[in-house]
Amino acid sequence: MIVEDEALVALMVEDLLTDLGCEISGSFGAVDEALAFLKDAAAPPPALDGAVLDVNIGGTMVFPVAERLRAAGIPFVFATGYGALPRKGFEEITVLNKPIEPHLLEDAVKGFGKAA
Amino acid sequence: MLNVANAERSEQADHAALITLVETIEALSATRTIEEVAAVVRSAARRISGADGVCFVLRDGDRCWYLDEDAIGPMWKGQRFPMTACISGWAMIHGQTVVIPDIYADDRIPHDAYRPTFVKSLVMTPVRVKDPIAAIGAYWAVGQTPSADTILKLETMARATAAAIENANLYAALNQALDRRTFLLRELDHRVKNTLASVQSIARQTLRTAPTPADFTESFESRLMGLSRAHELLTRQGWERTDLRDILEAALQPFGGLADPRFTARGPAITLSPETAVGMHMTLHELMVNAAKHGALTAASGQVGVVWRVEPPQAQGDETHNLVLEWVERGGPPVFVPKRRGFGTRLLEGGLARDLGGEASLTYQPKGLSYALRVPLSDRVADGARVA
Repeated sequence: MIVEDEALVALMVEDLLTDLGCEISGSFGAVDEALAFLKDAAAPPPALDGAVLDVNIGGTMVFPVAERLRAAGIPFVFATGYGALPRKGFEEITVLNKPIEPHLLEDAVKGFGKAA
Repeated sequence: MLNVANAERSEQADHAALITLVETIEALSATRTIEEVAAVVRSAARRISGADGVCFVLRDGDRCWYLDEDAIGPMWKGQRFPMTACISGWAMIHGQTVVIPDIYADDRIPHDAYRPTFVKSLVMTPVRVKDPIAAIGAYWAVGQTPSADTILKLETMARATAAAIENANLYAALNQALDRRTFLLRELDHRVKNTLASVQSIARQTLRTAPTPADFTESFESRLMGLSRAHELLTRQGWERTDLRDILEAALQPFGGLADPRFTARGPAITLSPETAVGMHMTLHELMVNAAKHGALTAASGQVGVVWRVEPPQAQGDETHNLVLEWVERGGPPVFVPKRRGFGTRLLEGGLARDLGGEASLTYQPKGLSYALRVPLSDRVADGARVA
């Protein structure tokens, strides 16, 4: 699953993940769309093994999505252009800087376990 | 002997008062905020004037704001009165000190406001004689005429207070400018990294579909230039909102712009946020390059029409207005559905529409390609007439 408000970057992340053998279960440009996709935290979409989240989604912070993923036990990473990221409560989550280094994304996906 | 002793005592008192005044001026010169200025005035003005109460009044537009006070009984701390309805207003409007030995004999005083207080006489002196910004009041519980010396000390303190307020304002402006600078640097860093990520994406995707290195270079550079022109346009606009028509003009510019008679462009004023403007420019750029390479603009008689409009809500209960933009090509060579979905196609179908929560479609009819985008109006895409 991808949450990213810039289509160009989203297209690339989709390709990178596809090349790593992942299937894209959902790619969203808005926080509420992503939340709707995850609406039931207790029963997440069955094919969802991990997520790549941009942090600032058109001015809205992605953290509600991150919280729902965490509640559902689904691993995720942040991908952001902000050097110093305000992410209280998510200090342990891996941050991929933009531009994205493919091998770091690959490491993150391996960390997701079932994918790749 | 008595006279000599009195004179000595009076001299000592004068000396102590002078020291207090100097210390107050020093303390005022060290303040950095209006609150600190008010605190110094509050703590020193009573000692300097020997009054039963003092207050510090700030001018707040056409009102007097009784910011702080130190007195034997409550006065008006925290309240605001019209400039024309209180004596601090009078002092600030006239730019001069006012001395009132008996407040109930002076009709400039709003007597009702004074009745609950101890005040019988007062001195009010403006802070900054030219265009006063504040006032300092000293109040006594007995009717009396304060000495010339007391008035002079209060006026001296008011002058130091004026300088302190100017400093506090400068200091606040400086801090604001520094905060703004930090904010802008962070924002610049963010934008550069996002732009680099976009370039990374363009490079990877162009490489995926380019049959030869020469094709890659041509497509990649064309897209890079498109991105650069979008940034140029945004910089001209101060990274504020940009009009759709200006974006269209910028995207068409390398191909002759809207002056080319084969173009028609028609639509109302629509303003886009900076990020959306970049996306819109990329979209129009892809359409334009395709039209020039394979579509209607390869023929002298080809036509490209770009039409947009705001569509009112379609269903009852729905309040969303949509921007509908259509790009229609006619008169070019026959169009076939492409065998491969290249980067351009993906961007056109999934780009802006995905970002803005709308929909987009490419239609390959033999008579010409057409593209339709339908996205809800929002902060990012707004009706220009309404925003203005």
